[in-house]
Amino acid sequence: MRGSSFGYLLKEGFKSIYKNRVMSFAAIGVLVACMLLIASSMLFSINVTGILGYVEQQNEVVAFLEMDLSTESKEKIDKEVKKVDNISKFDFVSGKDGVLEWMDSLGDDSVYLEGLEDEDILPDSYRLKIIDIAKLHETVSSLEKIKGIEKIVAPIDVATTLMNIRSAIYCAGVFIVTILLAVSIVIIGNTIKITVFNQRKEINIMKMVGATDMFIRFPFFIEGCLLGIISATISFFLVWGGYELAINWITVNNAMSFHSFANNLVEFKTVALPMYLSLLAGGTLVGVGGSMIFVRKYLRV
Amino acid sequence: MIEFSNVSKTYENGTVALRNVNFKVEKGEFVFIVGASGAGKSTLTKLMLKEEDPTSGEIYINDFKLNKLKHRQIPNFRRSLGVVFQDFRLIPGMTVYDNVAFVLRVTQVSGKDIRKRVPYVLDLVGLQNKLREYPEHLSGGEQQRVALARALVHNPSLLIADEPTGNIDPELSYEIVDLLNEINKMGTTIVMVTHEHDLVSKFNRRVVTIDNGSIVADNRRRLQYAR
Repeated sequence: MRGSSFGYLLKEGFKSIYKNRVMSFAAIGVLVACMLLIASSMLFSINVTGILGYVEQQNEVVAFLEMDLSTESKEKIDKEVKKVDNISKFDFVSGKDGVLEWMDSLGDDSVYLEGLEDEDILPDSYRLKIIDIAKLHETVSSLEKIKGIEKIVAPIDVATTLMNIRSAIYCAGVFIVTILLAVSIVIIGNTIKITVFNQRKEINIMKMVGATDMFIRFPFFIEGCLLGIISATISFFLVWGGYELAINWITVNNAMSFHSFANNLVEFKTVALPMYLSLLAGGTLVGVGGSMIFVRKYLRV
Repeated sequence: MIEFSNVSKTYENGTVALRNVNFKVEKGEFVFIVGASGAGKSTLTKLMLKEEDPTSGEIYINDFKLNKLKHRQIPNFRRSLGVVFQDFRLIPGMTVYDNVAFVLRVTQVSGKDIRKRVPYVLDLVGLQNKLREYPEHLSGGEQQRVALARALVHNPSLLIADEPTGNIDPELSYEIVDLLNEINKMGTTIVMVTHEHDLVSKFNRRVVTIDNGSIVADNRRRLQYAR
């Protein structure tokens, strides 16, 4: 294709958007709405994952040892506990330290425990930080197999809930994105259909004077691509503005006891480039893909 | 230049449009194809433009065997023709200049050649002063002359005119056919499809008459003899 022809076709693509401005505006509107929802889902998912990570870090497994174990047995248990996978931090808490911590947590009521500091009323224990809460069950099973461990306290319910939330968010995200992608493609298709209808005269003349299929179809690809790029750019800036407003509101109002998680909310700057590139790639792909499908369908050259 | 050999066309609904049509048009000829409405003229034109394929028979135009023409070869074939339609088929949003230049842009001619060729051909049809006008501001005859300029701008060796005088006043019809005569004198082969017997009779040219899908008369031999 000649450079001048490429320029001409590019110009035709832009002109077509302008000529069908009402439909183009509607298509951009719907695409922006779809992309806003997709981008919001992405941000929501990123933040929930961050918060879940924070919650994960707050959870620990406590493995209580049997009372009256020999020093040898304790050394053996220590070695075996350290061999267990999925643990990031091991803290050994002796029974006496356990009593002191207990007294600390009781505050004024600690008087009830006074005098028991040197007694063996609590077993020694390990406080273990879990790396991946999804593997908590396996980790607990491995710990249970160690001889000398009497009881394990693990936030199994919390883990299950977190996993359920995570998979629900993932499924909802995939579902929303799939639906919105389909809607976007249909919208692009409709725009192309109307453009083809509006330009049927030109297309017919083009065919009669010997234009190639590619020459006739190219402006429609440009049109689809431009609709995608314009929509992606508008969506990006709207999401950016909306997100900053939401973060400000949460920070100022300490909304919904969110302040404890506020530090874990993602700064938009950190995701801005990947987000824009994703929207741009998605928009272009939907635009060009939609054009390719529907130009073939409606434009039999 | 054009050869129809035992060409028949039956549409999917069973309508028989052409029956065993045979005719030849040599290079440099001017041929009228006449017939009443429904005689098969439109089908004949569609076959010549490769808009339809024959049910049987063979068609050769400008060294292209249309029966064997692959889809991707159609643009090349159509670039070897010039076509004028009854309804002009000008693009309303484009100026006269752009309507004519459009063909060259579509066929990817350089901008420099477009700027040279378009004014020349518009001058040829007498519209050198209407370059910046839009089709809706032109009379029927002028619009058809723009269509003619568009058909000629890429210098085709064959011009097919499908009822070019059908939408214009009778006086202007003669102007158009005169113009076609001039173009023919420059070497372009002309095939003009029309139902206007009166118009045809005014010009001493070859006339192929089609009726009920068959060629019923061709004055070629008589003309050759007369000349």
